[in-house]
Amino acid sequence: MASPRTERPGIGGAVPRFSWKISIAVLVVLGLTGYSVAGTDFNIVELLRGTGPAERFVSEMFPPDLSAATLQATGTGIVETFQMSFLGALLGAVVAFPLSALGTQEIATAGASRSERLLRAVPYHLSRMLLNVFRSVPDILWALVFVVALGLGPFPGTLALAVHSAGVLGKLYSETLEAVPSRPVEALAATGASDFQAFLFGRLPQAMSGFTSLTLYQWECNIRSATILGFVGAGGIGQEILISMNLFDYPKVATLVGATIIVVLLVDRFSAAIRRRLAY
Amino acid sequence: MISSPNNKSSGRVILLEDVSVRFDGVAALSDMTFEIEAGEQLAVIGTSGAGKSTLFRVLTRSVALGSGRVTIGGQDLYSLSRRRLNGLRRRIGTIYQAYNLVPQLSAGVNASLGEVGGMGSLRTLRAFLTGPDAGLSERVRAALEEIGLADKAGVRTADLSGGQQQRVAVARLLVQRPDLILADEPFAAVDPVTTERVLETLLHLNSEGATLVLNLHDVEIARRFPRVVALREGRVVFDGPSERLTEDELASIYAGDPSREESARNPDPPFARHGNEGAIRLTEGRDGVSSH
Ligand SMILES: Nc1ncnc2c1ncn2[C@@H]1O[C@H](COP(=O)(O)OP(=O)(O)O)[C@@H](O)[C@H]1O
Ligand SMILES: [Mg+2]
Repeated sequence: MASPRTERPGIGGAVPRFSWKISIAVLVVLGLTGYSVAGTDFNIVELLRGTGPAERFVSEMFPPDLSAATLQATGTGIVETFQMSFLGALLGAVVAFPLSALGTQEIATAGASRSERLLRAVPYHLSRMLLNVFRSVPDILWALVFVVALGLGPFPGTLALAVHSAGVLGKLYSETLEAVPSRPVEALAATGASDFQAFLFGRLPQAMSGFTSLTLYQWECNIRSATILGFVGAGGIGQEILISMNLFDYPKVATLVGATIIVVLLVDRFSAAIRRRLAY
Repeated sequence: MISSPNNKSSGRVILLEDVSVRFDGVAALSDMTFEIEAGEQLAVIGTSGAGKSTLFRVLTRSVALGSGRVTIGGQDLYSLSRRRLNGLRRRIGTIYQAYNLVPQLSAGVNASLGEVGGMGSLRTLRAFLTGPDAGLSERVRAALEEIGLADKAGVRTADLSGGQQQRVAVARLLVQRPDLILADEPFAAVDPVTTERVLETLLHLNSEGATLVLNLHDVEIARRFPRVVALREGRVVFDGPSERLTEDELASIYAGDPSREESARNPDPPFARHGNEGAIRLTEGRDGVSSH
């Protein structure tokens, strides 16, 4: 092991030397890569051969359809997508907040009895479980569920975004609450504040700017998601895109997709700017 | 309650019997036994890691007890129900080296947290919703006035200097009016002017009946206290009047503490060179101060 070369002074070692752990990790990654390439019929040649049809598809998109009717449909779709994403994030935040508060473990339990601990564990695990279900089902699946239950339109789409956002935000909120500096919270508890008071005045104020930032980020994610929810009939501009695709109306597709990209970028910029401000 | 009117000047407030605390198997306090009388002024000294902060945390049940018994105001602290515990804690005021205020809240709200313990859930919620400036009671205003921060009531605590933050912590104490004051190195991160000012307020509260227990970094300040308890490796190694605190005694208390040996060579304490509070703007907000 200790060859003379390893003793040479100077910086180095950024590339790890032989080790069984790393070798096995490399083999696992290579194995998974091969397995996945085979499973997905991944083929570079096929991709290159597809450039012809793709070129045709793209060239047929130009010039984009800028007729009044198309622009109006685009506007309506964009506005609806925007509204869905906003309401989804807002409702998600409203549902996430109480669940995350319940799903936050209080640390000040020194000397607490067994039954007291158990009593606190119940709401904690229940809310965590609920949030996990909300989050682990992708929003497009929630959209399918709500479309089946409520019919087509932006309403089931908004609900889908709200449920998924609640799951994501709830988890992130409670992580934020738990990561807050604990000493001010302990100081409050040490002078007789109840758990509720320590949470309200100790934990929450310290987590608030984090909450706002996370919610804005979720809104960004929602506006991207909202553009595809239309593919399953849950409203938004996706529905227009799907219909135009099926009618081979590529110039109209170009307008719709272009407008979507612009709005997504604008919301990203706007939200990122606010989040940057909040960081200080 | 910690001290009922009839035993204000006599009787034990705090009784520690064979108290041991371990962290991951390592002893922080070992078989500690001593008592504190109502209305007493007590300074706790010792090297860093001697167990001083752990002792203070034991007295508010903020840390699990390994063995032994802690009695405060006649009540067995570690067997109280949650409700009784909160009731007792409301009578205990704390100050820390790192201030431990909520940095995002205004100075006024932080000070008013001294009376939040007594509120029911509904009043708590109302106090929370009325916001920074609206809800301050007369008591809070008077406390801020007393420590000279009346004009800072609406300022975010994180935007105050270290000395100002420690004064806000004292205002919180004034609002709370506790029977027992536990101050864990309250002067370790503040300037000398603030130190004197805070000490004066604490002694004033003591003269009105509150028991005062301070953990002090600075032996010279500890010498002003009638009783000094020194800890070393989780045990009491000195307990008596400060006059008996000889150089030899101090040498054995602080033996092997590099920071003390350093300051012995340089008699000028690091902060004595700065005249006023503005000269040193100490750690702002958060937990910027290392714990001793
Ligand atoms: N939360 C903790 N977890 C693990 N060890 C701790 C903890 N708090 C204190 N200790 C240890 O207990 C001993 C006493 O610490 P402390 O009471 O903070 O000393 P002091 O306040 O006198 O400097 C130290 O060895 C410290 O490392
Ligand atoms: Mg300490």
